Amino acid sequence: MTAAGRPLLEVTGLTKTFGGIRAVDRFSFGVTEGSITGIIGPNGAGKTTVFNLVTGIYRPTEGTILFEGEETGGLRPDAIVRKGIARTFQNIRLFNRRTCLENVLTPLLQREKFSFAGALLGTPGTRRRERELHDRAMGLLASLGLERFADWQANTLPYGLQRKLEIARALATEPKLLLLDEPAAGMNPEETRSLAGLVSEVREKFSVTILLIEHHMDLVMNICSPIVVMNFGALLAAGTPDEVRENPDVVAAYLGKGKKSHDRTAG
Amino acid sequence: MWAGLFLQTLITGLSIGGIYALMAVGYSLVFSVLNFSNFAHGAVIMLGAYVGLALATKLSLGFGLVLAGSIAGAGIIAVLNERLAYSSLRRRKAPSLYLMISAMGCAVFLENLVYATIGSRFYAFPEFFARQVISVGGSSVSLLDVGAFLFALAAIMGLHLFITRTRTGIAIRAGVSDMTMCSLMGVDLDRLIAIVFLLAGGFAGVAGVFLGIKYLVYPTMGWVTNKAYIAAVIGGLGSLPGALAGGLLLGVVETFVSSYVSSVMRDVFSFTLLIAFLVWRPNGLWGQDSEEKV
Amino acid sequence: MDYILSIVILACINMIAVLGLSIFTGFTGLFSLGHAAFVAVGAYTSAILTYYYYVPFYLALAAGAAAAGLVSLVIGVPTLRAKLRSDYFAIAILGFGEALRVILENLEITNGARGLPGIDGFTTLPVVLVCLAGGVLVARNFLRSRWGAACIAIREDPVAAEMAGVRLFRTRLLSLVVSAVYCGLSGGLLAHFLSFIQPVMFTLVQSTQLLAAVIAGGMGSISGPLIASFVFIGLPEALRVAQMWRLVAYGLLLVLIMVYRPQGLMGYSELSRFFRKSGNPEGRSRS
Repeated sequence: MTAAGRPLLEVTGLTKTFGGIRAVDRFSFGVTEGSITGIIGPNGAGKTTVFNLVTGIYRPTEGTILFEGEETGGLRPDAIVRKGIARTFQNIRLFNRRTCLENVLTPLLQREKFSFAGALLGTPGTRRRERELHDRAMGLLASLGLERFADWQANTLPYGLQRKLEIARALATEPKLLLLDEPAAGMNPEETRSLAGLVSEVREKFSVTILLIEHHMDLVMNICSPIVVMNFGALLAAGTPDEVRENPDVVAAYLGKGKKSHDRTAG
Repeated sequence: MWAGLFLQTLITGLSIGGIYALMAVGYSLVFSVLNFSNFAHGAVIMLGAYVGLALATKLSLGFGLVLAGSIAGAGIIAVLNERLAYSSLRRRKAPSLYLMISAMGCAVFLENLVYATIGSRFYAFPEFFARQVISVGGSSVSLLDVGAFLFALAAIMGLHLFITRTRTGIAIRAGVSDMTMCSLMGVDLDRLIAIVFLLAGGFAGVAGVFLGIKYLVYPTMGWVTNKAYIAAVIGGLGSLPGALAGGLLLGVVETFVSSYVSSVMRDVFSFTLLIAFLVWRPNGLWGQDSEEKV
Repeated sequence: MDYILSIVILACINMIAVLGLSIFTGFTGLFSLGHAAFVAVGAYTSAILTYYYYVPFYLALAAGAAAAGLVSLVIGVPTLRAKLRSDYFAIAILGFGEALRVILENLEITNGARGLPGIDGFTTLPVVLVCLAGGVLVARNFLRSRWGAACIAIREDPVAAEMAGVRLFRTRLLSLVVSAVYCGLSGGLLAHFLSFIQPVMFTLVQSTQLLAAVIAGGMGSISGPLIASFVFIGLPEALRVAQMWRLVAYGLLLVLIMVYRPQGLMGYSELSRFFRKSGNPEGRSRS
């Protein structure tokens, strides 16, 4: 068994209840290293809740989450980030009033050990390391085509670029697993295609495994394999794009009858 | 003999606890619906006391009318407060930090306006209860104390019925869980919020009058409300039964400490109690663990 | 001349405390209406040390600042935990202010409510200027460091901050301690300038003034609150406005700023911005 292909993330029997509501219901799935795995499902199926559980924003009510063989359920979000999981948000959560550079610089700074006294006094050593990180942040922005906007306040960027910035910031934490929550939300078909390219590129350039939630079927079917389908907080189906597309349960619950798609199946 | 002191302390504690509960309820009501700490609540209580005082001394009204007048006056002031200082922030979905700052600004403004115009003199209400005492279990207890406690209890139970039985009340509780959903379903959010503040202000008015009668009326009397905030935390922020329980608990325990240990250390004690709760039971007696929806 | 000098010194002393609160409220986004308590701790600690124990001035100043920092842990540790809202801290520090006043009024060593007179006047203009300059420099360095970036991230979006590796509790606590240390230093300087302190000098009134300067000057700015602080001390003195009307104005100002211009004067930028060539024409601050 080669390293690529081992399960990076293993979720077993994951359950989350809020009061009387079961947002996630004995959900199990795995993410293999090096893949781009997709999670799809109707609104309210529990997809973002799964992300929140994996990233430590919620504690699991039941079930286990294993990342690289280690149990991460119930750990604090920043601890999970340090283990190598990063994410973007459905509603874009940037540090709005900071510049693009500062947005990307923040996680880079958190990963470094600095001496507190040295930082307060502004010693040459600290200055030098700050400059190094500054350059690395610029490099990160450049690899996503955002270097031009380094000094722009984050919330003044066009919407599509804000999403890219969020991805850049997530990559600054040097993750092994990157969770993207509806990265194509609000994008037109052309932007979606470009995003698909970006996601594949990111996987290559940064050697990161990708798990994404999406509603844009063309994006998901195009770049994801496997695809996991959720409904009412539970697993409905999982498999390759073709398998999922032809699964009658999935079609009934989510894809719908008579849905237009780029490649129409016969009949 | 000591039973007498015990009973007296208990009744006094319940009475001040009742006042704390009245204050805490108004605060918790706004907190549970608008999800922020209305630190101007103390100023409304103070103004309620002054309104009552004016009605009692300038118009020589009886206790009932004075109370009614304060309730109405403080209620209106609270609604105005919301309209002028909070509503535009709320519509903008400003962070709760901004609302708290605005609230503090109102408190400081109102308090010092009273201080600068009416003056810092301490005023007393006319003797409504003529220092009457009644005999409970063999010791003398102030009628005012007993009355305040019973009234607080009745008022809060009345509020509870309103919240759980009437349509408006249920709408308020629904507002707790989802404001956007409410407005989507056609509930007039502005009217609902005005009602909430009217209620909160009403309770503030009652608290102000009772405080004023029990002690005195002065511009900075609103800072007693700090105790109400502590009571609300103890009971569970945003919970109405919690506000009642927290208020009574704080009042009773504080009074016992004051009587049996040292009256000076009362404020130190309540602060310590707050810290103790925050360390061991931050959600208070009734509060629920809430997780932010992301 | 002497009068103007003392106004300047008072303003500078105030600016140091405002700088501290600015780090906590302006840069970390946490509400506090009780930082005057930390000023009190610094004032009393340093005054007691020089008055009763003849401790050298600079050592006493440092001790006062350190004491304020330590005391802030008492409030901060229970209330700033990640799962707790900032309301809890606000309530706790209000309660703390009251408790501290009671303690100060009832201890032998603080001379109770009558206050502590006869403190040596060690605070001079050079001392204050050095402290202020040093304070600004350290604040600037703090804010560009990983801890400062963490504070600002929390202000912007605590959830996203955690996903960037920020430890919420530790950072909030650090921000509080740093702000308390600044306030404690300010208190020590104040005590040795006025030569007299009493508990009633460190109440909500003073906390309000600090907050008003931070808000009016602009959250997220160092220069803004410093300017506002100077104006707030200097202007009323110049206009001979009575204390209570100043507070009416502060209160009204806070509300008006929040409603109409939350970013205050400088709002998330510095005075230096006006002297720099703008590389980003679109970068207008929005709140």
